[in-house]
Amino acid sequence: MDYFVQILVSGFTFSAMYALAAVGLVLVWGAFNMLNMGHGIIMTLGAYFALMWAELFGFPLVLAAPFAMLCGGIIGAIVYFISAHWMIKQRDFETTIIIATFGLGMAMEAGLLKLLRELFHTSPYAQPLSMGADSFLVATVPVSYQRIIIWGSALFLILLLGLFLRGTKFGRAIRAVAQDRDAARLMGVQVRNVYITVLALASALAGVSGIMLSSFKEIHPLMGGALMLKAFIVIVLAGLGNLTGSLYAALLIGMVEATVKVLIADKYGFTAILILVILALIWKPAGIFGRSTVARQ
Amino acid sequence: MSDALLSIQGVFAGYEGQSVLNDISFDVPEGSLITLLGPNGHGKTTVLRCISGLVKPTKGLIQFDGKRIDGLDAERIVARGVVMIPQGDMLFPEMSVYDNLRMGAYLKHANAAFEQKVEEIYTLLPRLKERTSQMARTLSGGERRMLAIGRGLLSGGRILMLDEPSLGLAPIVIDQIYEIIIDLKAQGRTILLVEENASRIIDLAERIHLVDTGTIVWDGGGKELQSNPQVLETYLGG
Repeated sequence: MDYFVQILVSGFTFSAMYALAAVGLVLVWGAFNMLNMGHGIIMTLGAYFALMWAELFGFPLVLAAPFAMLCGGIIGAIVYFISAHWMIKQRDFETTIIIATFGLGMAMEAGLLKLLRELFHTSPYAQPLSMGADSFLVATVPVSYQRIIIWGSALFLILLLGLFLRGTKFGRAIRAVAQDRDAARLMGVQVRNVYITVLALASALAGVSGIMLSSFKEIHPLMGGALMLKAFIVIVLAGLGNLTGSLYAALLIGMVEATVKVLIADKYGFTAILILVILALIWKPAGIFGRSTVARQ
Repeated sequence: MSDALLSIQGVFAGYEGQSVLNDISFDVPEGSLITLLGPNGHGKTTVLRCISGLVKPTKGLIQFDGKRIDGLDAERIVARGVVMIPQGDMLFPEMSVYDNLRMGAYLKHANAAFEQKVEEIYTLLPRLKERTSQMARTLSGGERRMLAIGRGLLSGGRILMLDEPSLGLAPIVIDQIYEIIIDLKAQGRTILLVEENASRIIDLAERIHLVDTGTIVWDGGGKELQSNPQVLETYLGG
């Protein structure tokens, strides 16, 4: 029983972070076949924006996360104008954008390190939004309030995103672009606005998952890389471009990782995920929820 | 300069160095039904894609309502009032019939009148009403074509371009589709129709342009075409 609760508690926490990180990648891939390798550093930046808000400016803590989302969104739009905007009409965009955003991500990372040396002198730093170890007991397992907030906010943000995509005109336009880009243009959808919006949304959500991650460990300039890698694993497992599928995949991967970490050992968590993904892709090469053929136009 | 609503003048276009259109010119006057007729793979679809902005002409001029539209993005051209109902329907497969129709009315002016217009579409195409909450990918071929037409009509443009509306359908369904087109013509809509099958449009079109290897080789009325067996045989295989 204890093990079971323990697995659920940490599994849901992993899942929440992976889901928020992956949903953005899926949206961007769905809208215009862009894999943003700068996603990881944007997560890291999210954590730092929250830190800046609280430590540097001393503004109220409750607004640190919305501030980080706003900044993340702006960075997402900037990433669009620096990279994708100039490349989207070229052939092989899918490949070249990976390389371009990889370079952009490295540049942002280096810039961040430089800036941090000026601003904070020391690193790593503690996440001001962390609530520490305050907790209550389920069976004999302590569950921190921190985790409740993480689950709640992940659920809230994903539901909000779902409502936006299903219930609003612009949300429908985003889905239309993902399903048939040319058809959407023939309806009068300004596809560029869709591209910018999804990148901004994805980056805002990435910022939140960065805050979540840093609330357990500390804020570190290189922390986003591993989380981005897992988000990529999630979307590949689900089948690229499948939003609901990627939520299930995030849940599955989070739970598998937690199970292995609790029952076997911490260090085998990532190994287990990789084995799971390899087996799943042998079984279904296009991903668990992917279409049987991976079509390119 | 020409007074036609849509005017194509000396357009060239191609894909990746391969030329598809070689000096195409024709006019679509307001309120007329003009047809591009010809065998498959000779550029008829490319003409429509050029007009709608999905393909950029390499040379030439396209004017709509007296203003140049070639070189504009597709989303801007449809906002001017040029609506294309594409070949293969290009529906949004993971959206309901109703949501597909709502996408048709995406533009501001169309969106305002959507609630009322969609009822008109449902009257014209009652099958869509029965299927309103069904996913587009679950529709039959004929229903898909009707949805594509309904979605295009909701855009409320001043010219409607239909790319082979009979393609891949059973004869009885083609009859239904052509009844709709005859209806639209009777309402006085301006229509540019691409067809492969001469018999369907010979009595319908005001003017027929025969497209062969990327250029217009003959044009005239339906009667003229019928009384010209040589043209029929050479370009349409009899």
